Amino acid sequence: MKNALSIYWKYYFLLLSLLVSSEVFTQNQPSEKKPEIKELDEVLVNGNSAEKRKKEESLNVETVNNSFIQRNLGGSLMQSLQKLPGVKTISIGSGGSKPLIRGLSFNQVIVVENGLKHEGQQWGADHGLEIDQYAVNRVEIIKGPSSFIYGSDAVGGAINIKPLPLPSQNTFGGSVDLTGKSNNAQFGSSINLFGRNENWFFDSRVTTMDYGDYRVPTDVVHVYSYAVQLYKNHLRNTAGKELDFHLSTGYSGEHFKSVFYFSNVHTKSGFFANAHGLEPRNVDLELHDKSNRDILMPYQQVNHLKVSNTTSFQFRNHAFETQIGFQNNFRREYSHYVNHGYMPAIYPEDMYAPQDLERQYDKDVWSFSAKDEFRIQNHQITVGSNLAFQQNEIGGWSFLIPAFTQFNAGLFAYDKIELNEKWFLNGAVRYDYGKIKMKSHYDWFQSPVSENNQTHLEYLQRSEDLTKTFDSFTWSIGANYNPGKLSLKANLGSSFRMPIAKELASNGVNYHYFRFEKGNPNLNAERSYQLDLGMEWNQQNWSFQLTPFVNYFPNFIYLNPTSAHDIYYGAGNQVFEYEQSKIFRYGAELQTRYYFLNSLSVEIGAEYLYSEQKSGSKKGYTLPFSPPPSVLLGLNYEPQISFLKEPYFSFDYRFTAQQNNIVPPEKKTAESHVFNLAFGSKVKTGKQDISINIQIQNLFNTRYLNHTSFYRLIELPEAGRNIIVSMKIPFSVSR
Amino acid sequence: MKKIQFLLGVLALAFISSCSSDTAEIDTEYPVIDITGANAFPIQCSTIERGQTFTFKATFTDNVALGSYSLDIHHNFDHHTHSTEVASCYMEAVKKPVKPMLFINNYTIPDGLKSYEATAQITIPADVDPGDYHFMIRLTDKEGWQTLKGLSIKIL
Repeated sequence: MKNALSIYWKYYFLLLSLLVSSEVFTQNQPSEKKPEIKELDEVLVNGNSAEKRKKEESLNVETVNNSFIQRNLGGSLMQSLQKLPGVKTISIGSGGSKPLIRGLSFNQVIVVENGLKHEGQQWGADHGLEIDQYAVNRVEIIKGPSSFIYGSDAVGGAINIKPLPLPSQNTFGGSVDLTGKSNNAQFGSSINLFGRNENWFFDSRVTTMDYGDYRVPTDVVHVYSYAVQLYKNHLRNTAGKELDFHLSTGYSGEHFKSVFYFSNVHTKSGFFANAHGLEPRNVDLELHDKSNRDILMPYQQVNHLKVSNTTSFQFRNHAFETQIGFQNNFRREYSHYVNHGYMPAIYPEDMYAPQDLERQYDKDVWSFSAKDEFRIQNHQITVGSNLAFQQNEIGGWSFLIPAFTQFNAGLFAYDKIELNEKWFLNGAVRYDYGKIKMKSHYDWFQSPVSENNQTHLEYLQRSEDLTKTFDSFTWSIGANYNPGKLSLKANLGSSFRMPIAKELASNGVNYHYFRFEKGNPNLNAERSYQLDLGMEWNQQNWSFQLTPFVNYFPNFIYLNPTSAHDIYYGAGNQVFEYEQSKIFRYGAELQTRYYFLNSLSVEIGAEYLYSEQKSGSKKGYTLPFSPPPSVLLGLNYEPQISFLKEPYFSFDYRFTAQQNNIVPPEKKTAESHVFNLAFGSKVKTGKQDISINIQIQNLFNTRYLNHTSFYRLIELPEAGRNIIVSMKIPFSVSR
Repeated sequence: MKKIQFLLGVLALAFISSCSSDTAEIDTEYPVIDITGANAFPIQCSTIERGQTFTFKATFTDNVALGSYSLDIHHNFDHHTHSTEVASCYMEAVKKPVKPMLFINNYTIPDGLKSYEATAQITIPADVDPGDYHFMIRLTDKEGWQTLKGLSIKIL
């Protein structure tokens, strides 16, 4: 049955791709030779602006475009960007991941899409980033503190997904993206349509994805010492699906531009059924193994809606920009009710939450920002302000964080001074204010409480009404020096992060980990100081880039595992308490490329990170989710073949060292050797080029563990061999 | 150029100072729950009678120092949770709980011990539902490493 299904998908994919491509051929043939409409412009613009930005920006910025994503396509946006040194992920199965930049993640890395700060439930390790990677045209990754640009949370770095370039005037066209993956029998498609007359335009996209359980190179995994037999290497219930809509539309004139963005990303994906977090679970094998495409309990369902408008206009030498936005993140986690702790054995019939709804989080965010960019002599100055208000409601039978509202406001100014062609100076200051208001919450069930040898039952209060305010002043200074082939940069900056509701007020048992997580209302805003350096050498056949950094946190917020167990609030579980400690971190990334011939090159990408807690009860330990050192060795062959455009073959070998530097409750992770093969090309078809990319990830079906995977603690290996075929077929209807 | 040399110097210094920092050994070992001893009770598939008091016995060890432990007995009538053990026990059919036993308690271990013979008296009330139960032992060491053991037991 399973085989039949996967074969069915393979043929379905092939057939569909053939059909669509033949349709495009017929559409393209009659039209005249005209310049390519959207694609070419993008590439030209990207190449220049990214390089210029790198030379003028003193922070370490990496820019990639959609062809990079296509060539390295993974299950989710962050997985596709993992080839960049310093960028890793915390992944959850095959379709979800969250960014991990130089070892920092969660609320310490921010994601910005079309200028709007993405607000989901970043605090959870099993909460992936709700971004459609097909809708991403260009991503800028800032590996370092960028609070002065984005405010609170950008302590570790930022992933900035740039707005799509506008279609050229008087065009109407689109593209079809098709993707098939062998490992989890995934089929994905994304259809784009865009058009523009002189000034009015629209750009729309629909993405669908459907995947089955992913496969690992083993038929038994050990959740603790309990052996879980896997049916045909499938990780039971890790299937999922996604449906996304995007529309941007507006007006673009000479001095005035206004764009509305609308997007809705919806995902539903299963968690590995034999474990609920760390708890081994007995499952109905017959039910689960009937199909590898169904999504049974436990699973998560997330919807992320964004609506925003960005308006910019020129007045004299001022460029003004305003942005107004709304987003809603609605996350539900479903799981069979199991009475942990003092919960009643039988789920009450009159409960406020459905029996299978374990957790629910509903977040609304309204935001507004305005900025003005102007030049005075050789100073390019930007001043601006952002405001954001969010409201968070909770639901479900399990309590982790209270409902809360939050208000943030920030004012900033930065100055880029062009001393001469070679020297640039950057300076920025920013002031932020934040207020968080948490709501009281009581358990829905009673727990026994002992006082003076008397035991009585009580509805425990999990959180109190609590309001906290924070303010912060951050700054950054830097310099760039670009004498010809060499470029050097240095930046020293501070950044901050406001504690989140979970850190201030959580007071419940996280049964995914069997731990009682205890917030700390006395936490200060987290601060960070970082020195970043960058050295780059570029010549015809050789390029080299080294980006070291040193980072210090006087008060890093850390969930400390204690040796205590708590019987009342923790139902007998281990107590984890939020504390602040001094952290010292340093590391570097290296990238180099050497061309033996015009068509043959070798590249090396390496990263190293060291973190140490310098105070507190875990003095001497590292931080959780510390990526081990790794080296990527790549061989690229880009021959000239007459009927193909930009064909490439690449062979990558990634060596990831062992990670013995751990902190409770982590486990040491052995080294791994993984090989990837990729090839592809653009095929000339009239005036539009179809691009085809093929990847074989984990070529030798190696069994290995990823230290930063959500499933690492229960020893789930990473996906086995995965053949990924993706195709992009652009078309133009009229011009 | 001087500025660059200065910055390079700062970085080099920072690297050197960080590398030469105290390299005190940190504890990365989990504590161990040993129930293989002759006196250990309960073990996987043990049976306990209602209305009686039994003595929990296990040996805890750690490479540095033990922390604390907690015990938890809850029903497994729905066969949802599974023990951490290799051997599986004979299970009764799935049934609805009426008055299942629930026991949760935490215990301290004297400071600084590397090995500890844990004992605890637990009374099973006479009126609880008989059937399949789960006996959970959670042990921490001083640094916060936690070891879990989930045993399947039967209350008769």
